[in-house]
Amino acid sequence: MTALLDRAPLGVAVRITRIDWNAISVDEGRRLREFGLMEGCEIVPLHRGSLFSRDPLALTIGRMKVIIRSRQAAAIEVEPAAA
Amino acid sequence: MTGPIPSIALVGNPNAGKSSLFNALTGARQKIANYPGVTVERKAGHASFADGRPIALIDLPGTYSLTPASLDEAVTRDVVLGKQEGEKRPDALIVVVDAANLDNHLCFALELLALGLPTVVALNMLDLAERDGLTLDPQRLARELGVPVVPTVAVRKRGLADLLEAVDDAIRTHEPREVVPAPRSDASLHQRARALARAATLSETPVRRWTQRVDSIVLHPIGGFALLLALMFVMFQSVYAAAEAPADFLESGIGMLQGWVVDTMPDTFLRGLIVEGVLAGVGAVIVFLPQILILFLFILLLEASGYMARAAFLMDGLMGKVGLSGRGFIPLVSSFACAVPGIMATRAIPDEKDRLTTILIAPLMTCSARMPVYALVIGAFIPARNVGGTPVGLQGLVLFGLFLSGIVGALLVAYVLRRSVTRGNAAGFMMEMPRYQWPRARDIAIALWQRAWIFLRRAGTIIAMTTVVLWLLLSFPKAPVGQSQVEYSVAGRIASGLEVVVKPIGFNHDIALALIPAMAAREVAVSAMATANAIDADGDEAAMAETLGERLQGKWSLATALAFLAWFVFAPQCISTIAITRRETNGWKWPMFMVGYLFLLAYAAAGITYWTAVAFGLG
Repeated sequence: MTALLDRAPLGVAVRITRIDWNAISVDEGRRLREFGLMEGCEIVPLHRGSLFSRDPLALTIGRMKVIIRSRQAAAIEVEPAAA
Repeated sequence: MTGPIPSIALVGNPNAGKSSLFNALTGARQKIANYPGVTVERKAGHASFADGRPIALIDLPGTYSLTPASLDEAVTRDVVLGKQEGEKRPDALIVVVDAANLDNHLCFALELLALGLPTVVALNMLDLAERDGLTLDPQRLARELGVPVVPTVAVRKRGLADLLEAVDDAIRTHEPREVVPAPRSDASLHQRARALARAATLSETPVRRWTQRVDSIVLHPIGGFALLLALMFVMFQSVYAAAEAPADFLESGIGMLQGWVVDTMPDTFLRGLIVEGVLAGVGAVIVFLPQILILFLFILLLEASGYMARAAFLMDGLMGKVGLSGRGFIPLVSSFACAVPGIMATRAIPDEKDRLTTILIAPLMTCSARMPVYALVIGAFIPARNVGGTPVGLQGLVLFGLFLSGIVGALLVAYVLRRSVTRGNAAGFMMEMPRYQWPRARDIAIALWQRAWIFLRRAGTIIAMTTVVLWLLLSFPKAPVGQSQVEYSVAGRIASGLEVVVKPIGFNHDIALALIPAMAAREVAVSAMATANAIDADGDEAAMAETLGERLQGKWSLATALAFLAWFVFAPQCISTIAITRRETNGWKWPMFMVGYLFLLAYAAAGITYWTAVAFGLG
């Protein structure tokens, strides 16, 4: 059962199943990969937005915390990590 | 072996602790300049091997790979490949990796190792990794990578000596080695890095991470925002409260110096130039050094602790609505101290249009150079009483209102620009959130000293020169008896011409006269009025006893004073800002645009303020 990362519930570990590289720019795609966000890796979405909007999204990948916008998160398909 | 001094580059990911390590290796022996042709800061310094042989170190901008996404990342690539103009290829690399984030940092390390230069890996911030429950095996990592791996903690001397020794060995024993090319695809590079990290990790105890709890407060959609506002409030309060004593001290010091010159020198042309020109003008500016340093201290602490990235997270939503990104928050906060470092800090914004917009609105942040102007006029025209029965002072409220006008103006301008001249893709926002860290006193002190030096150099050059020129223009030709020297002088006549243009918005001859030299720097408006009044009052005991504020009260209406304040919220009167904008945008197009739109806004804002005030009977 997959969902898009921009709708994924916070605090729950998920695994990336697919990234729609065409929905984001080449540079954005490369930075995602440099962060380690690739098919198969496990992440935890943690914080979303503030007073003014639902953007951005903070998540952990490995031992790192990164911030992305929900437009990029919408290109990332995830499934619940092995329970 | 004698020969040229070996040059060694520190290179690694952002947040690998590179700068701390650089500071620890070089101490205060640093030189910051720009790479020729680009505006990226080149941080160089000196250190020496244990036997005293000198080494030249450079600290390269942090990046994730050799494929750059921004200007400063491109410099890192070009330097390590030996393609950077005017920079020789380093003799060796120190690859700095965060011990607690090997999975990610080893990717870039592998890419760098494949270059085949003599290389040593600094396994940095080992103390923080241990705090996170990690036990690592540096020897194992060294075997796997095929280069020496030295554990370092920037505050401990031991690791630093080992590191330099390893570099020395690496250069001496280096022979062109069979280079293992880095895995070509991103996925296999990451796989290899993960495998290496696993091999080097002896044990990993899950530690309950307090940082997670801190983040749930700091990044709370409402609570986090309230905290950010509170921090900003405290920051501005301290700037005015804590700077008062040292500023008074500097002011009386300059007064004493002027007195001493008057007493010891004969009354000549030169004495007038020194006392009324250089000391009065430069002194009026140096007085603001404490405020600037306090503001920078806050900014540096927020950055070094890891909070600034959280603030960027919180602000991104709001800034996204006007077409900017959270990345722009840091440069804009810096611009409250001075737009010049603020504009330089925009280099980290990858999107060109996003960056350009941030540069164009940076001068709208109320920089410290406006303070002398605001303080003088508010002090003279706004009564020092509280609002209603509250403890909120009216003067402070007006000052806050001026700050706020700048911010609101900046957001509106950004909104309009992003839909017209800087239209482009919706800005992206991708950044790493560094771990929380206790800021190191040494790093903060070095950075503060560098800021202070830049400011003092500016005061000693641009500002000193403008005041001297203004003094000359005000002193000649000598007016015949019975005529005002200020009106008769060259500067006075130029001001009379300008007065025609600014009269409709309520500006008088005084203001017209101050506006011209204030093109160099806003604070010169104050010293210009002071110099003009000093020359004007020459010999008149009663007039000389009055303060500048008192003299203005007699000559200006309240409507004029308010219009003058409104003018300075927008007016782009700062040569340094215009110059840095030209450099950062590679041409005159955008600085000219910036100057044009800001003068238009300033004229309109002053006019509307003046006409409204006059309509309410304050003219």
